Parts: sequence; C-alpha cells; structure tokens
Amino acid sequence: MIPLKGRELWLGYAFLAAGVLAIVVPFLFILATSLKYEIAIMQGRVIFEPTLYNYNDVLFGRRSNFVRNITNSLIVAGASTLIVLTVGTLAAYSLSRLRWARWISGAFLGWTMLFNTIPVLTVVGPWYLMFQQAGLYDTLLGLVLTHVAINLPMTVWLMMTFFGDIPAELEEAARVDGAGQAQAFRRVILPLVVPGLIAAGVLAFVFSWNEFTVALNLTSRGTATVPVGIANFAEQYEVQNGNMAAASVLSTIPALILMIFGQRFVVQGLTMGAVK
Amino acid sequence: MIIHATRRAHLAGTALAVILAGVPALAQDSFLDVGEQEPITILINSSPWYGGFESVVALYEEQTGNLVELDATPYNGVLEKARNAVRTAESPYDILNIDSGWTIEFYESDVLRPLGEIVEGYTLPEEVYTCGDSYFWNEEKQYRTSEGGTLMAVPPNCNVHVLVYRTDLVETPPATYDDLLAQCQAIQSPPEVYGFATRGERGNGIHYDFMPFLLSYGGRIVADPASGDYTVTINSPEALTALERFIEVEHGCAPANVGAMGQGDVIQLMAAGNAAMVETVVAAWANYVDPTKSAVVDTVAAAPMPEGPGGRGVAIGNWHFAVPRNIPDERAQAAMAFMQWFLTEGAQTAYAEAGGIPVRRDVIETLGQQPGYEWMAAYQTNLEAGVHPLGFSEGAAVEQVMGLRLNQALVGELSPAAALNSAAREIQEIFAQSGRQTGSLDPLPE
Amino acid sequence: MSFPSEISSGAAPAAVPPRRHRREPSGDRWFRWATLLPAVIVLVVLTVWPVANLLRMAVSTIEFTRDGASFAFTPAENLRRLAGDDLFFINLRTTVIFVVVSVILEMVLGFLLALMVSGVPRGKGLVRTLMILPILVPPVAIGSMWKLVYNHDFGILNQALGVVGLGPVGWLSNPDLALWSVVLVDVWHWTPFVFLILFAGIEGLPREVIEAARVDGATTWQIVRRIVLPLMAPAIAVAFIFRAILAFKVFDQIFLLTSGGPGTATEVVSLRLYRVFFDQNELGYGALLSVVIILAVVAFLLTAGALARRVGR
Repeated sequence: MIPLKGRELWLGYAFLAAGVLAIVVPFLFILATSLKYEIAIMQGRVIFEPTLYNYNDVLFGRRSNFVRNITNSLIVAGASTLIVLTVGTLAAYSLSRLRWARWISGAFLGWTMLFNTIPVLTVVGPWYLMFQQAGLYDTLLGLVLTHVAINLPMTVWLMMTFFGDIPAELEEAARVDGAGQAQAFRRVILPLVVPGLIAAGVLAFVFSWNEFTVALNLTSRGTATVPVGIANFAEQYEVQNGNMAAASVLSTIPALILMIFGQRFVVQGLTMGAVK
Repeated sequence: MIIHATRRAHLAGTALAVILAGVPALAQDSFLDVGEQEPITILINSSPWYGGFESVVALYEEQTGNLVELDATPYNGVLEKARNAVRTAESPYDILNIDSGWTIEFYESDVLRPLGEIVEGYTLPEEVYTCGDSYFWNEEKQYRTSEGGTLMAVPPNCNVHVLVYRTDLVETPPATYDDLLAQCQAIQSPPEVYGFATRGERGNGIHYDFMPFLLSYGGRIVADPASGDYTVTINSPEALTALERFIEVEHGCAPANVGAMGQGDVIQLMAAGNAAMVETVVAAWANYVDPTKSAVVDTVAAAPMPEGPGGRGVAIGNWHFAVPRNIPDERAQAAMAFMQWFLTEGAQTAYAEAGGIPVRRDVIETLGQQPGYEWMAAYQTNLEAGVHPLGFSEGAAVEQVMGLRLNQALVGELSPAAALNSAAREIQEIFAQSGRQTGSLDPLPE
Repeated sequence: MSFPSEISSGAAPAAVPPRRHRREPSGDRWFRWATLLPAVIVLVVLTVWPVANLLRMAVSTIEFTRDGASFAFTPAENLRRLAGDDLFFINLRTTVIFVVVSVILEMVLGFLLALMVSGVPRGKGLVRTLMILPILVPPVAIGSMWKLVYNHDFGILNQALGVVGLGPVGWLSNPDLALWSVVLVDVWHWTPFVFLILFAGIEGLPREVIEAARVDGATTWQIVRRIVLPLMAPAIAVAFIFRAILAFKVFDQIFLLTSGGPGTATEVVSLRLYRVFFDQNELGYGALLSVVIILAVVAFLLTAGALARRVGR
C-alpha cells in the first residue's frame, strides 16, 4: 500500500467516491425497482409509493420457491467454496513451493487453464449422464462437485500468485527451527496469504452463487438454486421486473452476510494459528 | 327463520365453493373418472398461464387422489431438461411440455410415445382444437398433418396472435392492414402514445410477428409442403408487399427502437398506456388485465387480426404435452389419464377461470359470453384462421434464416427485396440438403 | 506492465526446480503428495471425460435415436462447414473487440480503485463490501435490470437526457451503439472482480520498500511505476487471464439485453455457439466451434503476453 498524502489524498477520495457511486447507483436502481408495482416500473416513474408487494410475492407466492432456493444456494456455494479453497490452496502451495518436476506442474496448470476456457454449455451434457448413473442427479452434492471443478482452476492460479509473493527465507527459517514442511505451511505461510484466501474465497463463492447452466440441468424444483429461481421471473409473454428485482436484492443479503462473517472467521482462524 | 338462514348460508357456501373450484357443481360428470394412478411428474415452463395450470392440477389431485409433481422451469431450460430426460435410461418426467418448434427433433429421434400406443385407439375429443393440425406427425412426409399422421401430443394451449387495442383511442379495430396503417398513423403522437407495435427483435420474435402480414397478403414461405412441394416462395411479390407494409407500419407507428423490441417491450408499451394497438399472443393477455401490471385494465380489448388480400393470416405457436418413451407403462398410463382428464369440459373450464387458455370449442364459446372473457371471441376467430407455418422438420433452421433477414430489412441493413432474396437462397439450400423436392422463384429486382 | 514469462508461455509460474543431492524426508514427500492429490482427483473424475467427449463430438455428426446417441466420424465435413461460415468469423471479430475494450477498461479502473482504497486511511472495509455488490447479482437479473435502465421510452438514462433536452438514444437498438452499451454493463459488473484480486495483491506488498522509497523522495507515480507494478505483475497477469477468458465466454447479459442484435451487432461467439449447439441441436459442429473458441482464447492470451513483455521492456 502507498499511503496518499495532501492533494493526492483528496484526488484519491474523489476517485473513490465516483467509483462507489458508479457501483452503487445501479444497485439502488434495482432496490427501487423492487419496491414498485410493475406498472410503476414500466412507466419509469421516478416518484412512487413504495410497496412490499414484490417481496411478498417472491417469498410467499405460490409460484415461487425462493426460500428453498436461497437455502440450496447457501449450502452449495458455502460447501463448494470451502472445498475448493482447501483443495485449491493445498495444490497451489504444492505446485509453487514443493519439488515437483516441471512437466507435472506444467501439465496440471495447463489442463486447468484449458478446462477453464471450455464453454460450460458443452460439458453439461456429459455431467448430466455421469451424475444420473452415479445417483447424484438432482442432489446438492452433485452440484457442489461440479462447482468445485469449475472454480478449481481460478483458485489454484490465484493462490499461486499469492504464495509466490512470500519470500522463501521465511519458510527456510521455520524449517531451521525444526518444523516439518506441513508445520511450516500451517504456521508460517498460511497466515501470510490471508488477503489472498479472502479474495479467492469471495470469488469462488460468487461464481458458485451465480452459476446457472449446470444448476439448471442438474436440479429440479426441490434442489434449484437462486439463479434458476430468478430466471423463472424472466419469462416469455410476461413482465415480472419487480419480482426479479426483489429476488435479486433478497439473494444478495444472505450472501453478503455470509461473506462478511466468513472473512472474519478466516482471518481469526489463521492469525490465531500464527501466534501459537 | 333459522332454517331459512341456514339454507342461505348453505347456498352461499355452495356458491363460494363453485367460485373457488371454478366448477359448476352440476357438471361433475363433465370430468373423467381416471381411477387410481401412479404419481407423475410434469416438466413445464413458467408462463402467465402457469398459475391456471397449477390450480387445475390441484383440482385433479383433489378429485382423484393421484399425485402430480410440477417442475416449473425457465423457458429455455425446458428444452435442455427435456433433451436430458429422453437421452437418459429412464426419464424423470412423465409428461414433457414442449414448444412446437422443438417437437420435431423429438419426433425424428423417436423418443416420444404416440398417444395411440398408450391408450389403444386414442383420438383427441372432437371439441378440442388441433391448433393447425400441429399435434400430428406424418413421418413419411416429415410434416405435421392429421392426414396419415400419428397423434403425438395434446394441447395445453393454442397460442395465436390477437390484436390488442385501447377502446378509448381506437373506435373500431382495423379490419384490414390498410386500415391499421391509417389508424395508427392518425393516433401516433410519440412519446406519449404510439399507434401500433409488434416485435422487431431478431430471431423468433420478428419471424413470428411478421407471419400475420405475410399470410394475409397471400405470401408463403414454401409453396405446398403438405403435398411435398418445397419450392421456396418467400421472395414472391406478395411477400415483398407484406414485408414493405410491415416495415411501413413499424416505422410509422412503433417506437424508434423497434428493431430491438421483444415480447416484454411490446407488452410494456401497451400495459403502461403508451400504445393504442399491439399485436401479441393470447398468452400475454393476463398482463393487460392485472391492475398491478397494467394502466389500461378498463380500456383494453382484443380483436381478430386484420385481413389482407389473402384473407386473415394468423400463425400458431403452441405448446405440446407429450409422453417420453423411456418410462414404464404404468407411468405412461398415469400420464395419459391426467391428459384425458385435463381435456374434459370441466377441467378446461376450471383451467380458463384460473387464468389458463382453454382449447375446447364449447368452453371457449360458453365462457366467451360471460363478462371478463370477451377476449375469447377474438381468440376463437383467430384460432380458426390459424395455420402452423413451420410444420416441416427444417422449421427451426428456416426460422433462424427468416429471423435474421427480416430484422436486417427492418433496421435497414438490407433492402426488403434483398432480404427476401437472400432468405430464399438460404432456405432453398436447407431444403436441398435434407433432400426435399425444392426450387425457387426468380429473384426480386433489388 | 510485464507478464512473467513463465505464465505467458503456459508453463508453471515460480515452480521451484528439484534440488539435487538433498534427500527429501519421508514426511515431506508424504505432504507433497497429500497436497496435490485431492485436486488431481477432482480434475480426473470431473473433467477428463467431458473434455474427451467434446473433442470426439467436434469431429462427428451426432444423431439421437431411441437407443441413444450415434456418432458418425465426419471431420472433413465439419471443417468444410467452418471454412464457409463467414458469420462465425464476424462473431469472432465482435468478440475480440468486446474482450479487448471491456477487459482493458476493467483492468485500469480496477487497478486504480485498488490503489486508492489501499492508500486512504479510512473506509477500506466499507468500500470493499460495496464493491462486491455487482458481482453478487445473478447475471440473468443484471441483464433484465440494465434493460430497464436502457429502455428507450422509460429508462432512467433517456429520462435524464430528456430533462436536459436531448432526444432519446437507442442504447440497444442502434447498431453502432449497442456493443458499447453492452460493454458498459460488463465493466460495471466485472470491475469489482479485478479490484478484489488486485486489492489483495497490493495489501500483500512489502511495506518497508515503499516507505523507504517515500523517504528517498519518490513521487507516488514513481512508486507505482517502479515498485508496485513490477511486484504485482503476477497478480495482474492472473486477473487479466481469468477476466479475458470470462469475457470470451460472456453470454447471459448479452442474451438478455440484445440477443445478439440488432442485426449481428452484438452477436458474440458464445451466442452463436448457443444457437448452433442448443437451438439447432448440432452438437458436432457446435463442439467444433467451441474448440475454435478455445484456440482463439489461447491465441489471444499468448498475443497479450507477448505484447505485455515488449511493453514491459
């Protein structure tokens, strides 16, 4: 970090204010939309009488299964993030710090990158058949596994850059003190990459939370996630912008809360390990 | 006194029950006794008529004690899930609700059970519309027709265009397209009120909404597919006149962004009170009469589509309830039992009263007399004039060509004649590839 | 900005070559395997067959029958069709324009935001939380909401323009403008992605070096140019790579905003792929298109890497 001073600081604040405004205004627009009757949305009324009609419809309407969708999404995104962070961070550490032959790390990273470029549309068919045979079709576990696979490449690559920033001497010092590789990793290295873990975790969570194509194909009414539920409001022959906006707002709240607490949890857990 | 009061309460209770169930108490025999059946699962799309379908399913469960599970899925997801279902060992669904444009792919791979194989000799009840013969498939001709065709599905709805207009702005709805143009131009005063709009969006939108113009001017995409003559006639002078009129109307009366307008935009324009007339499918009707969604609840009305030199042109784009092959016989029986029940007079009435679009002539006629259902008359007129313009197996590919070229003509990337000429070339290519007997007209002068 | 050469050449970044002469303690070897194996298992079980299947489809024509899929080996026909598919190459050009413009904007804005947030004494947590908002909204909802913003008659953009007396703009219906409207949505949606990664990178920079440079009288610009950018090169590279790949695959928001229109103005390759693979159900040709897309992404990343190295020098 570069502390800004004087005129630069004011410039910084101005730029930040503009950035925050640009981010927040469209979101406020969504929020306002969620509080309008459909007719007020369609007429583009700026001044309107707020109503909770849409929220009521989304949460308790007969067509909607939104509470269930949110629960499913929390489980799927939470579980797949935990798994992909664990698996991905270990793999990233292994590849960046332990003695693997070049061809092994090259093949691993090349394959993950290749898989990441494939349009999901073309792999969802094989996954459907695999999961049907394994009895995992229409289960949350099946969806968790696919999200782990989808997010693994990014997690590994990201974590490698963060491990790469840590000076090798630190680790060697720990080893001189008699720590094994595993202990050195746990006590010395891991606490240093907390900002990276948070970034990678947030991104994995967000991608899982918003993933649509696979979730649509591998679930049905009882196991559907938030994006699938929301897509039901974007229908042919009708306009349900109010419901969709309300569902979007509702879907960000639990995710936001979970991520804020999740961050704190990660930070505390790892820094405590470091002090010990 | 007491007796009197009780009887009144009883009567009121009955009346309430009638309204709730949406079924005349005397008409119990207008349903069907299906006996005990296996539980079934239906794959269905979310739509404005889904609510009506859900109520009718609840009524079925209540009447028969048989269980029905609904998997309501976003529009495009239905196709993905239906494909997955028929490509696996045993389908999780017993009834697939699929859009007519998608059905042929399923026919060709022979993954749906003809209904006559499940219930020996089953035919659609006489009162049920066949929606332009679209529930039959003639495998030899690769064409939808009841002549030599097999019954593959039953209708959950027959979606046709209606002309939706505002009674406070339009005195008599236009009877011809000349009339439509004159009226919409007279009303046109943007941005407060646009005279007329329909979809100009690339793809299915513009293709389907252009069809009424094309058909009523006597234009056809293909000469005579029913008898195997696949000569491409989309660049005929009639088709050119129709396209020029379509563009004239859209440029003269619709908002400037008409080239990107989709279903939602058109509905919005009417519901928000900014259009005098729009052309939308009957399934969208519910949007205009819901006070939370519409500013024109009291003034909106439906009319038959205008006529042209070739008569009234209406295109049908409907949904199909079909049964996959890869389920056990008992489940197929249970699916069939539900579908037969669903097409009874009682069920169709309940369906319509809960917001569905009925497909029985008698139900439409009876309900059409009642206040609140006036639009059904226009629906029926259009339905009877309706044809299925893409009844052949190359339909999806042809629609893509049309959807792009028409849009290019509308936004000015191509002249109308050039757009039709290139569409004709490409469509002929499609038919040639699939081995149809095809040919072409002389190109229009560009 | 300089890419580390290992990344742009596709090999392992920062892999430590095995040292000779020192025997690895057995606990360490066990640890080495235990750390990598779970990831390998996930990849083998879940990705190998779908990828192999994709390659097989790309050289086939696939028909579905009652008994399942039947593959006919037709590589020549698929390739011939690709060679004559002018529309696909137009789509590819549109996609590259979309990717270059939106990713560059997102990188620059994301980097500046990260720099500013880390530089101010107060409000970091708040800003970081707010920044997450756009990426939390499902793409399907983003498409629908921006469609309202861009609405020709009632959208807030045209309403605001109307107040100052400017005529309604066809944000999505004007073929010359539609692509840029779509780019704007993408920038709004994804700048936070870049911000999150780069902010984590900046927070991890060694403080002493920067403070020492300050003491030596270096300006902020010099510190950024000489210290921050070189140290952050790997994080920048990874953010760029993953952002570019995602941008190449952009689908939901364009599908909902314009469906590729007007005409072909916003038809990116993934929309075309969707039409072929899904609407037309031509799995063979669709798979071939997706292989071409993958190759295009790889070519794009290699070119970007080479350019970055030249600029870095």
